Amino acid sequence: MIEFRNVSLQYNSGAAAVHDLNFTVPDGAFVAIIGANGAGKTTAAKLMRGLLKPTSGEVLIDGAATTSLRTSELAKRIGFLFQNPDRQLCKPTVREELAFGLELLGVPDAEVKPRVDAVLEDFRFDPERSPFALSRGERQRLALASLIAVEPKTLILDEPTTGLDYRECMAVLGRVKALHEAGTTVVMVCHDMELVLDFAERVLVFSAGQLLLDGETRKVFRDTETLPKASVLPPQITRLSERLADVLPPADTVEEMEAAIRGRKGEKA
Amino acid sequence: MTGFLDYVPGSSVLHRLDPLTKLVLSLGICVAAFVSDDLIFLLVLIALDILLGVLGGVFQKALRLLSGLLKLSVFLFLLQVLFVRSGTVLFELGILKITLDGLFVGARLVLRLTAATLPLQLLLSVTQLSDLSGVLVQRLFVPYKYAFTLTTAIRFIPVFAAEMSGIIEAQTARGVEFDTKNPVKKIGLILPLCVPLLISSVGKIHESAAAAELRGFTLRTRESQSKRYVFVPADYAFLIFTVLLIAAGILF
Amino acid sequence: MIEIHGLSFRYADADRDALQNIELTVPDGDFLGIIGPSGAGKTTLVHSICGLVPHRRGGDFYGSVTVDGMDTVETELTDLARVVGTVLQDVDSQMVAASVDDELRFGLENFGVPKDEIEPRMAEALGAAGISDLRGRVIGSLSGGQKQRVAIAAILALRPKILVLDEPTGELDPAVSEQIFRILREMNERYGMTVVVVEQKIMLLSSYAKRLAVLNGGRLEIAGPVREVLKESGRLEEIGVNCPRVVTLSRHIRDLTGGKIAATVEEAEALVREVLR
Repeated sequence: MIEFRNVSLQYNSGAAAVHDLNFTVPDGAFVAIIGANGAGKTTAAKLMRGLLKPTSGEVLIDGAATTSLRTSELAKRIGFLFQNPDRQLCKPTVREELAFGLELLGVPDAEVKPRVDAVLEDFRFDPERSPFALSRGERQRLALASLIAVEPKTLILDEPTTGLDYRECMAVLGRVKALHEAGTTVVMVCHDMELVLDFAERVLVFSAGQLLLDGETRKVFRDTETLPKASVLPPQITRLSERLADVLPPADTVEEMEAAIRGRKGEKA
Repeated sequence: MTGFLDYVPGSSVLHRLDPLTKLVLSLGICVAAFVSDDLIFLLVLIALDILLGVLGGVFQKALRLLSGLLKLSVFLFLLQVLFVRSGTVLFELGILKITLDGLFVGARLVLRLTAATLPLQLLLSVTQLSDLSGVLVQRLFVPYKYAFTLTTAIRFIPVFAAEMSGIIEAQTARGVEFDTKNPVKKIGLILPLCVPLLISSVGKIHESAAAAELRGFTLRTRESQSKRYVFVPADYAFLIFTVLLIAAGILF
Repeated sequence: MIEIHGLSFRYADADRDALQNIELTVPDGDFLGIIGPSGAGKTTLVHSICGLVPHRRGGDFYGSVTVDGMDTVETELTDLARVVGTVLQDVDSQMVAASVDDELRFGLENFGVPKDEIEPRMAEALGAAGISDLRGRVIGSLSGGQKQRVAIAAILALRPKILVLDEPTGELDPAVSEQIFRILREMNERYGMTVVVVEQKIMLLSSYAKRLAVLNGGRLEIAGPVREVLKESGRLEEIGVNCPRVVTLSRHIRDLTGGKIAATVEEAEALVREVLR
C-alpha cells in the first residue's frame, strides 16, 4: 500500500511542484494519473518511488517512509518504468541487461540465470542482441522486462506509451494488465484517455500541482464540470454519450454505445 | 529552471556593455590571475569578480558557483600541500610532510582557479550567446562555423547535464546506489553510464546539425547578422581598466 | 506541389529498404497526415521531402522527388529549404540559439532577409504561433509545448510554401497537441500553406488533416481523403494503426447508416441522431 500524507514538494525554481497531496493506493489497484503537462504527475510518481523527497509531509510504502528506505530496498518493492527506455538500458546484451537488475539487488548468482531465462522465454527476446539495436517499442518492452525480472509488488509507469505505435503500446500494456491480474499494483501516468478508460480502475486528476479529482474511472470522466479545469478531454465515446444524453442511456465503450443505439432503434420500430 | 551557465536577462551596466568589452574584460581577469603570484592580488581579483557579479545582478549565481568550487578547492589544496616537499617544514609524521611552500602553492592554485573561473561564468550570465558569436565573427573575423561550434558546445552543456541526471535517476530506480559515500565506488558506478549518454548525445548532435542546415546555416556570412556592435564611452573605460589590471598582475 | 515517383531508399548500413516504390502527389494547399507503425518509413519520407535524404543521410536512392518543380537530388539543401520549412522530431536538439528572439532571427539572417523586414516577420511568426508573450525569454526556461511552438514559429518566419513536421506533438499532452494542430490549420486555411505532418495520434489527424497517407514497412498502403481512408478501418487495424473510437462505432453500425463514417465526435453525434430519427 502506498500512502501520501500532506505531501508537498517545492522547487527553488518554482517548477512542477506539488501541494498537499493526500491519497492512498491500496494493494492490487490499477490507478491512472492524468492531467496537463506540468500539472505535477511525474513529480507525484517520482515521490511515490522515493526518487524525489517531499519538502513536507511523508510518503509511506507499506507503512515505512520512503526517506527511511534504502535504494535497493525501494527497488525491490517498486519498479519504475520511465518514458524514455534509453536511460534505463546500459548493458551490451539483452541477457546482461536483464541480469543487471537482479545482481544489483543481491539475488544469488544461482538464481539469476533461471529467472532471466524465464523472462527471456516469456518476452521472446534474442538474449545476445544489443539493446541499442532494438526498435523503440522493443526497448520499452525490454526495460519493462528488466523490471518484471525483479518481481516488484508495485509497478509505476511514467507515460509508458510515448513514442510507441498502437501495436507496441498494446504489447506493453497487455503485459502490464496480466501482471495486474496476477496481483501487482499498477500506477500509470498517461495522456491517452482511451487507454486510461480501457485499463485503469481508478483515476487521479492533477492540476497545477494539486489533486483535483480522485475516483472510479468512468465516474471521473463524467465529471464535465471539473475536468476542463485540468484540461482533460474525456474519451470519445464518453463525450459522444454526454452529447446524446437526451436520447440514449450512458455508454463509455463502442460496444455499449452500439447496444444503446440498437436498443433505442428497436424500441422505435 | 536556469543553469549556472545560462544567460540572465537584465539591463545592468554589464548587460549594456559591448560583448567584445565583456569578453576582453573576463579574459583580462583570467590573464591577470595567471600572471600574478601574489595571494593578496588574487584575493582582490576574486573580490572584483564578486563586485562585478553584484553589478550585473547575478550575485546569487556567482555564489552558487563559488560554493561548488569550494569542494574542488579543498581537494586540490590538500593534494598540493601533501605533494610539495620543499621549503620550511611545519609538520612531519612518517612520510607525511607539510611545508610552508606547500601551503603557499596550494593557496595560490586554489585562489587562481577561483579568480579565473568566476569571470567566465559572469561573461555568460550577462552576455547572450548570439552576441558572443556575433562579435567573434564581426569584429575578430572568426569564421562563423567555429563561433557556432563554440556557442553550441556551451548551449549543450546543460542539455547533457540534464540527460546525465536523468540516466542516474533511471539507474537509481533500478537499485544502483549512487548515494554511496565512497567516491571511488561512485565513479565506478557512473562510468558505465557514459555509454547511453554518448549514444543519445551523438543522435542529438546529428539532428542539431541537420536542423541548422535546413535553416540556411551554410549561407551565413560575416554580413548576415542584423545586429551591429558599437563602443560607447563605458566600453573604453572598461577596456582601459582591463589593461591596468593585467599590468598590475605583471607587477605583483 | 510535391511529386514522388517510384521512390525507394535504403540507408547505407541497412539490410532492407526504408521506403519502397512510393508514389505520392501532394497538391498545393493540401494538409496531409502521415501515419503508420514504428519502422514504417515515416521519418525517411519526411527527410526525402526536405532533402536530408539523400543529401545528408546517405544510401541507395531510386526514383524521384520533386518539390515545387525542383528535383531534390539535384537541388542544394538550402535552396530546397527556401521552399520547404521543416520541423524535425527532437525539439531540443533543433534549437540553434539560447533565446527565443535569436532562434527566429537565425534563419531570417541566413537567408538574407532585408534587415528592416526581420522585425515585422518575427512579430508575425510569433503571433501566428500564439507566443508573442515569449519574446526575450531564454529557451532553457520554456516548457515542452512552448519550445515546440518556438520551433514552428522559427520556420513560419521564413514563410515557406510547404511546411513539413515530424511528430510535433510526440511529448505533448492532448490539449497542447490540439493547439499545435490549430496553428497548422490556420496556416493551411488562411495562407494556403501546404502542410505535411507525421503524427501518431489518429484522432488529431481525423479532425485536422484533409488527406491521410498510411505507411507500413516502407510501403505506401493507403492514401486519400481522410474519410475514405478511415472507411478502411479494418485494414488500418491490421497494419497496426488504431482508429478513433467513433470510427469504430461507425463501422459497427454501418448497417443502420449506409456506410457513413464519422471522423469526429461532432460528426458521430449527427450520425447517431440521424439513425434514431
